Amino acid sequence: MERSVEVSHLSKSYNGQSVVKDISFNISKGEVFGLIGPNGAGKTTIIRMLLDIIRPDSGEIRILNDMLSGELKNKIGYLPEERGLYKKLTVMETLLYLGALKNMKSKDRVSMFLDKMGMLPHKDKKISELSKGMQQKIQLIAALIHDPEFIILDEPYSGLDPVNMKLVKDLIIELGHEGKTILISTHMMDQVERMCDRIFMIHKGKGVLYGSVDEIRSRYGKNTVLLEFEGELKNIPGVRKINNSGNYAELILEQDADPGDILKILASMVRVNKFEISMPSLNEIFIEVVEGT
Amino acid sequence: MSKWATIAKHEYLTNIKRKEFLFVTFGIPLFMAAIMGISFLFMGVASHNEVSKIGYIDKTGLFETTNITNFTKYTDEGLARKDLIANNLTNYFVIPENYTATGRILIYSSKKNFADNINIEEKIKNFLLANLLKNEPPEITRRINQPIISEYFTLNENGLKNEDNGITILLVPIVFSLLFTLSIFTSSGFLLQGVVEEKENRIIEIILSSVSHKELLQGKVIGLGALGLTQIAIWLVVAASLILINPAILLAVLSQIHISIPLLLYAMIYFVLGYLIFASIMAGVGAVATTSREGQQIAGIFSLAGAFPLMFAQFIIFSPNEVFAKALSIFPLTSPTAMILRLSITDVPLYELMISLILLVVSAYFIMELSVRIFRASLLMYGKKPTIEELIKYVRQG
Repeated sequence: MERSVEVSHLSKSYNGQSVVKDISFNISKGEVFGLIGPNGAGKTTIIRMLLDIIRPDSGEIRILNDMLSGELKNKIGYLPEERGLYKKLTVMETLLYLGALKNMKSKDRVSMFLDKMGMLPHKDKKISELSKGMQQKIQLIAALIHDPEFIILDEPYSGLDPVNMKLVKDLIIELGHEGKTILISTHMMDQVERMCDRIFMIHKGKGVLYGSVDEIRSRYGKNTVLLEFEGELKNIPGVRKINNSGNYAELILEQDADPGDILKILASMVRVNKFEISMPSLNEIFIEVVEGT
Repeated sequence: MSKWATIAKHEYLTNIKRKEFLFVTFGIPLFMAAIMGISFLFMGVASHNEVSKIGYIDKTGLFETTNITNFTKYTDEGLARKDLIANNLTNYFVIPENYTATGRILIYSSKKNFADNINIEEKIKNFLLANLLKNEPPEITRRINQPIISEYFTLNENGLKNEDNGITILLVPIVFSLLFTLSIFTSSGFLLQGVVEEKENRIIEIILSSVSHKELLQGKVIGLGALGLTQIAIWLVVAASLILINPAILLAVLSQIHISIPLLLYAMIYFVLGYLIFASIMAGVGAVATTSREGQQIAGIFSLAGAFPLMFAQFIIFSPNEVFAKALSIFPLTSPTAMILRLSITDVPLYELMISLILLVVSAYFIMELSVRIFRASLLMYGKKPTIEELIKYVRQG
């Protein structure tokens, strides 16, 4: 399998404080890859090192089979987590400038993208006149305008309303179908769970999980029960943990517990509307991993 | 087009539209012109609007000749006083008996006006001279009126050289270096503001995902440098067109100014190098600063160093070859302004010029390198300012 990104033994520290510790992972060509972990885990630092915005203390990065260079930067699209634009420029000026920095100078292509995102009528407006959602669309266009081979999206859903969230999701799926390599960095694990082929999970600068989502989930066993119920849940023997959301709950079973026994106890306790034996969510796995370390 | 050129073009085009740029480029010269124009205007009003009619009372019997117009002789001071109050006279004056011994003249006017007084005194002086010298030939009278019309030369191994003189020789270098310094600070100030703004609105991250730190810095420095040159070009064009519009008034001033070609050439070199140094410093400050206010504060220290020779311009102008002036014209932060001042006043030895230029080039290079490294190391450390030790570490690692 052709590799788009190879990261080996990457480390970075600020002021003697280690932010990224000996991290290695690969992203295959055409893959949707999730870089996940809580806020402050070091995700953005890794991305900035991928883009040569900051230099690693040690380790090596190869992107599209190349060391980082100006040419290579033209093949990468980047949506940063911290977003901003020039307030005084118009939409068209902004995109033409940011495009030109990636060697994309076609006004038609900018118009085409604006049309696709429903922003064409606003092309001559100043950025400061746009709503926050509109500005986010402009930033997304800026990340994709030069038809990059490798796309990095840092917290792509943060601050999006449901309409734009769907738009971004659809766009990521579309880009995936086009064969683009995509890196999504997020702390919202349930979002990437359904979207990513493989993930790299990071906690306090260290890699804790790496592999395909299904493989990781099955590795942590079929020890979870998803329950819809009416009534009140109390402690159940054989259940290690209850993530209770009122009339929906995720039950984490003990290693040797039998789901059948659990169901019997549950039936006597509450009215069961749905009972499903499932793999644990990434979120649950993450908490487990973190608490275990 | 390479990426730095794209950035340079962007910086140039967005900054040339800024209100601050328009203000400095057009507002400040207009302000200067307005001040000069107002004083010209007042003088004009004073001397042209009213034809002065002057009466006199002569108690010596020496001043009979009234071939100068507008002078009326009175024998009775009471009558002159009445005429002054009735506005038939603008002034009258009394020549006392002991005038030849004391030179005292008593001048009366109906209103108090300083500009008028100078004007009237000049007229009375001419009147008195014409009378005192009535027996001398006219050329002698003229020479006594203006005994010296000076022209200065310096004579050394290189031969004879005509020199400027008078107030213009002081005014020209001051205005000249003031405008150059102003231009350097305007452009490098924009650079600082631009970097901090891009940091504050986070767009810097998108830009750095497209270009290297060096390209970004190069593009900004070159684009804003071109802006500074544009500013100077605008000033030159405005000055030239003012001369063309109103040659009569300015011809007198201009006849005494000659900004030589070598001086202009050196001025351009010093402008470019001086700008590079200050632009690099501002870029470094912008990278370190967390807010624009903080940036301005740190930058203020360096700007002060740059403006230092202007604050002590009088020492440089009056003793351009003393240690103080020499030191300022060699130290890289002050040398652009100080050397232009010195060059326009005195012959600066070639070796001093070379030392100053070499130092300037070398330090411009090092400061730029340093700024790129600081830029790279601390640009994305939002919200926390690196300590001096950290900065030194980054620069070493660079």
